[in-house]
Amino acid sequence: MASQASRVSPQNGIARTDGRVLGETQSICPRCRRLLDARLLDLGGKVVLTRSCPDHGEFAAVVYGDAERYVEIQCFNKPGESPLERQTEVARGCPHDCGICPAHAQHTCLGIIEVNTACNLDCPICFAESGTGQQEHGYSLTLEQVESMLDAFIRAEGEPESVQLSGGEPSIHPRILDMLAAARERGIPLVMLNTNGIRLARDPRFAPALAELGVHVYLQFDGFDDATQIAIRGRPLTGEKLRALDRCAEEGVSVSLAAAVERGVNEHEVGAILRFGVEHPAVTGVFFQPVTHSGRFLADSNPLDKLTNSDVIEAICAQLPEWFRADDFVPVPCCSPSCRSATFALYDDEDLIPLPRLVDVEDYLDYVTNRSLPDLEVLEALEGLWSAKAAGGSGPVAERLDCIACATAMPRELRQVAARGFMVVVQDFQDPYTLDTEKLRKCCVSEIVPDGRLIPFCAYNSVGYREQVRLAMSGGNLRGH
Amino acid sequence: MATSPKLEALLAEGGTEACCAALYESPAVRWFLGDELHPGGEVATRRSLGLIELRPGERLLDVGAGTGSSALLAAREFGCLVVGLDYGTDAVRRARQAADAAGLCDRVAFVVGDAGALPFADDEFDALLCECSLSTFPDKARAVSEMRRVLRPGGRVAISDVVADPARLPEPLSGTIATLACVGGALPLEAYERLLAERRLRTFAVESLDDQAARLAQRIEDRLRAGRLLERCRGSEWGPFGFEEAIEAVRLARRAIDQGVLGYAILAATAS
Repeated sequence: MASQASRVSPQNGIARTDGRVLGETQSICPRCRRLLDARLLDLGGKVVLTRSCPDHGEFAAVVYGDAERYVEIQCFNKPGESPLERQTEVARGCPHDCGICPAHAQHTCLGIIEVNTACNLDCPICFAESGTGQQEHGYSLTLEQVESMLDAFIRAEGEPESVQLSGGEPSIHPRILDMLAAARERGIPLVMLNTNGIRLARDPRFAPALAELGVHVYLQFDGFDDATQIAIRGRPLTGEKLRALDRCAEEGVSVSLAAAVERGVNEHEVGAILRFGVEHPAVTGVFFQPVTHSGRFLADSNPLDKLTNSDVIEAICAQLPEWFRADDFVPVPCCSPSCRSATFALYDDEDLIPLPRLVDVEDYLDYVTNRSLPDLEVLEALEGLWSAKAAGGSGPVAERLDCIACATAMPRELRQVAARGFMVVVQDFQDPYTLDTEKLRKCCVSEIVPDGRLIPFCAYNSVGYREQVRLAMSGGNLRGH
Repeated sequence: MATSPKLEALLAEGGTEACCAALYESPAVRWFLGDELHPGGEVATRRSLGLIELRPGERLLDVGAGTGSSALLAAREFGCLVVGLDYGTDAVRRARQAADAAGLCDRVAFVVGDAGALPFADDEFDALLCECSLSTFPDKARAVSEMRRVLRPGGRVAISDVVADPARLPEPLSGTIATLACVGGALPLEAYERLLAERRLRTFAVESLDDQAARLAQRIEDRLRAGRLLERCRGSEWGPFGFEEAIEAVRLARRAIDQGVLGYAILAATAS
């Protein structure tokens, strides 16, 4: 039982007053979702979020695997920006007013629209609780609904730079191409399709259609071992993934690989996934996401053993020491510094050189340390790259990379290589165990929901919003609470 | 070690100093090194000048001034009068432009010249700076004699340079590229002190900058790899030397730094 594993008692040696206190925040009870005062502690070199629910006892979860680095990276924290429109009022307090509410400290860099709940896989780890079977409270959006959600996103952001259509499995929605086209028609430069790749592999017309629309594919790709794929996705999928990628390469569709990484399952494959991505002509970046313990995966996890960004970065560096060291991964400063770390790299099929080796990225993205006035053009470009709105190979990313290469006196010819930089992202989403409202307030990835609210992604999956939306979409009242 | 035909031709034509000057003037090499042409960059320069307690109004000679960044720093931050000397005409031209741009022409001058025959009178300077250059001079004893000659009695000299134990240095690090990268010609710390002592320059402080040397070597290796990658992408030669050899040499250097066989230090001495 998860709640047993995470319950803190004097017997297992952790009490809330132990360890070095790194900060005070608020969190929720993973069982009843009640808002609780919480404390961040350095326990044995790891950052642990602890709190006590009067009904369900103490809960603790590891939120960052390297306490020293956690403290160090707090300077990568850019002051938040306001969206043009907020959809809700402050009533019950964070995280129960999501909309975006007036207390939220950031606008949305990346909007996500889940177009359906149906899927052609039944992944054991699914946070969206999607699947192939007859679904309780399942739904499938209409094109008109998606259009109105895109319009809500545009009202909130003005000129949003990226949107991702997700699910469920969005590629099996009969109107998916029209939905992607609707996003493109609204002038959003980076339109992504989050997919398992099965339709890409099986339907020869799909990749050409995506190419024509200029859609970037965000392909789930967790590793090569059958055991990994059975644990994460329920069955081996390598053949289909490779077919999907080759189709994308043939049609000129750029792809980011998205790997869910789980301790004891596929940590050992992160290097192989990255190397494969660098070598494959369709792939322009890799996103590593420590598995979140929400949705149907909540039950079997130990929050004190959770994999975090620092663990994934360590694994990458240990498996590819010729390419990476830990400080190549610079925290993305628009969200909270422990949420997302990223790097861009110059590469060909033989070698890879992270951009921070050639440009002092950390100096630019440090918003706390007293520093001399940086080149504002470079700062702006770096802020656009180290952002949730970026994906390797997209037009805006290439422009920003070229700007940086130019401003840092990189030889002209090398600039062209730099402009097609490979992107590596390590992104830890929060779950009911790790939810920290201070972090949540700066979240810049939002689920756009059918009634026009923009709900920060980690709140959507941790606090009960997903369940509410699902219930409402299948017949209930969306604001039924 | 094998070296590039371009460098060999330069060597045959003008000797090590001409070749060295040409190499450091190359835009590709300048990018590989960035603004930091010696370990520690500006921070190390400030430390060197601090160690010899440079005071406003004093006359400083910078031997091997390159494009002038340290000389300008000395004038700007220490308020002294500076002459920068370099063997490379293009470097001197650029240094003059930089002085002009910085509005420091009244306090800094740059001249083309040979460290083995300094174009100055005896006792002309109060202080002297020589960064990452002494090791590249073919006749170090003569260069130090010249430094002592132009320095007044009681004058101070700050020498920062690569420190190496040639007997324990791997063989490829004594080749041409290594010499040009200030490694092949480097001496053990005691040998520098002796060289100075024999010309009545008494060392009074030594500071190790090995960590900075390791950082710079890593940085150069990364940039050389970027150069090699570009060369592969364009399918033809780019830069004044072979990237494979240069990368291999830097890797050897990094290992040698880790093992304590290679390093970087500042020596501060007074003229008696």
